[in-house]
Amino acid sequence: MKTLILGLGNPILSDDSVGLRVAESLKEKLTDRDTTVIESTTSGLGLLDILIGYDQAIIIDAIQTEDDKIGEIYHFKVEDFKAGDHIVSSHGINLAAVLELGGKLGLTLPQYFDIIAVGIPRECPFGEECTPEVQRAIPLAAEVVIKKIGT
Amino acid sequence: MKKIVIDPLTRLEGHGRIDIFLTDEGDVANAYLRVPELRGFEKFCEDRPVEELPRITSRICGVCSLAHHIASVKAADAVFHVEPPPAAKKIRELSYCAHMCHSHIAHFYVLAAPDFVLGPTSDRAQRNIFGLIGKVGLEIGKEVIKHRAYAQDIQQAIGGKAIGAVNGLPGGVSKAITEDERRDFEAKAKSMVEFSKLSLKLFDDIVLKNKEYVDLILSDAYTMKSYYMGLVDSENKVNFYDGDVRVVDADGNEVAKFKPASYLDYIAEHVEPWTYLKFPFLKKVGWKGLVEGQDNGIYRVAPLGRLNAADGMATPLAQAEYQRMYSTLGGKPVHHTLAMHWARLIELQYAAERLLELSQDPGITDPDVRVIPTATPDEGVGIIEAPRGTLIHHYQTDEKGIVEKVNLIVATVNNNAAMCIGIKKAAQAFIKRGEEVSEGILNMIEMVYRAYDPCIACASHSLPGQFPLEVVIYNAKGEEIRRLSRNV
Repeated sequence: MKTLILGLGNPILSDDSVGLRVAESLKEKLTDRDTTVIESTTSGLGLLDILIGYDQAIIIDAIQTEDDKIGEIYHFKVEDFKAGDHIVSSHGINLAAVLELGGKLGLTLPQYFDIIAVGIPRECPFGEECTPEVQRAIPLAAEVVIKKIGT
Repeated sequence: MKKIVIDPLTRLEGHGRIDIFLTDEGDVANAYLRVPELRGFEKFCEDRPVEELPRITSRICGVCSLAHHIASVKAADAVFHVEPPPAAKKIRELSYCAHMCHSHIAHFYVLAAPDFVLGPTSDRAQRNIFGLIGKVGLEIGKEVIKHRAYAQDIQQAIGGKAIGAVNGLPGGVSKAITEDERRDFEAKAKSMVEFSKLSLKLFDDIVLKNKEYVDLILSDAYTMKSYYMGLVDSENKVNFYDGDVRVVDADGNEVAKFKPASYLDYIAEHVEPWTYLKFPFLKKVGWKGLVEGQDNGIYRVAPLGRLNAADGMATPLAQAEYQRMYSTLGGKPVHHTLAMHWARLIELQYAAERLLELSQDPGITDPDVRVIPTATPDEGVGIIEAPRGTLIHHYQTDEKGIVEKVNLIVATVNNNAAMCIGIKKAAQAFIKRGEEVSEGILNMIEMVYRAYDPCIACASHSLPGQFPLEVVIYNAKGEEIRRLSRNV
């Protein structure tokens, strides 16, 4: 099964980069030729190009929540993201809409999807490091990803 | 006084909010586009080696990443007083033409076309790319995705990454192009030229052959007289990568033409207390408030601004369409904001043709792609045409090349005043006293700024997806009476 591990975020926006950091930490651990680890700053339609050709995808990203559970690790399925008014912008088209669009266009997209998110603070100033609480969650999130591969 | 706010602005890159204030009678008194700003980006750049900035500024925005990278590396060239070799300039321009294709395709098919194919006041649930594909067919949808991917492939092959290029260095680029890569780019460029023709034909069929839409484009609600700005080559043709900045007035007369380094002699910025975004204007004309016309220094950039500020396009198919646009819309300059969509597709045609020209250029595979800087670094300005308009990066460093000061004027900010005026005009035209302000009406107001393809992420340095967007309407007492918040 061809598996994609996709870390998302912005490397100069402190805790927003946590998805990239988790993916980076997995690169050395995941050497199986069927598993590809990618760090990307893209979103929306840009995701479509990356997802094509894989059977399974595990996306790692940051999440800001109302209850501010910083460092908490969340696990979502695609169904948790309602398509709704999916076109906020060309890159803001959400994941559910991206998959719906890819499906309509007959593209080969992953059948198995997991989204692992790490809770981050509401404020994300410019910076190249995660805050300590988020930093501590990186190895934990990486373990969750490893357990999801092939399942 | 009543007040209306549009938040979120659907299909807008990043975050923005429109506030609409009504009088006691229910007419529109005023409308404002307001944008938050994540402060501190310029500070974040300081105390770093200037050669790092092309890789840092490109992180401002995932959509406009390459525009910032190229503007930044041109500024770094200037800081080090170094002229890149011809092949390096061609490689930069080639990847940049691919970026233009990538951006303009997304704007037309995802943001612009649904309003025309489905109708500006049609069901909002249908007025998107899914509705578009439902009308124009899956095959066109596949072509859109394929050609976006082609453009992305070229950017990735040259830049090292699809987003966040790393190849630009002061004095050139880090890697030459191989013959295999050149052949691949050439094949993709040929396909892109055909796809651009198809896109223009679609625009013709959907918009120009529909009298209702042509009337809408020509209507006063979507028309605004202003100055126009854009980069031009030595023959005053549109150029995205290099050249002088040219400014024409509302009658099309050239009023300024300047080198990047002297931009501060021509552009000043006005500040208003109700928004973080500044309002750039022409220094020699002056700032007279948010009013249109020749007496005010407000200018417009982006596709229509570029085409109005130039004498033509440098490639044949784009030039033919350029002439057709001006003869159809009543001569130059065109002041109709929705013509921005036509201008954008003409630029897509140009970008594709230029991509092909560069991929067939015998010098493009020359291995000499870098001049090592030797002069003492001090100060430099880099200007390019981002998809959304003129983009200025200005850096000052110490004698070791450590950044002391950064000033960015991003494309969207250049259009800030024009967007505010345009939104107010549309709001006044479409919101009628005593009538309910429908979602369709609000969408027709949103169509003003959508035409500019504003990137609020770039303008605010806030990065996409950070904030929700909305439209809010207030009554004469300042009380909120309607809020349109779309799912974000």
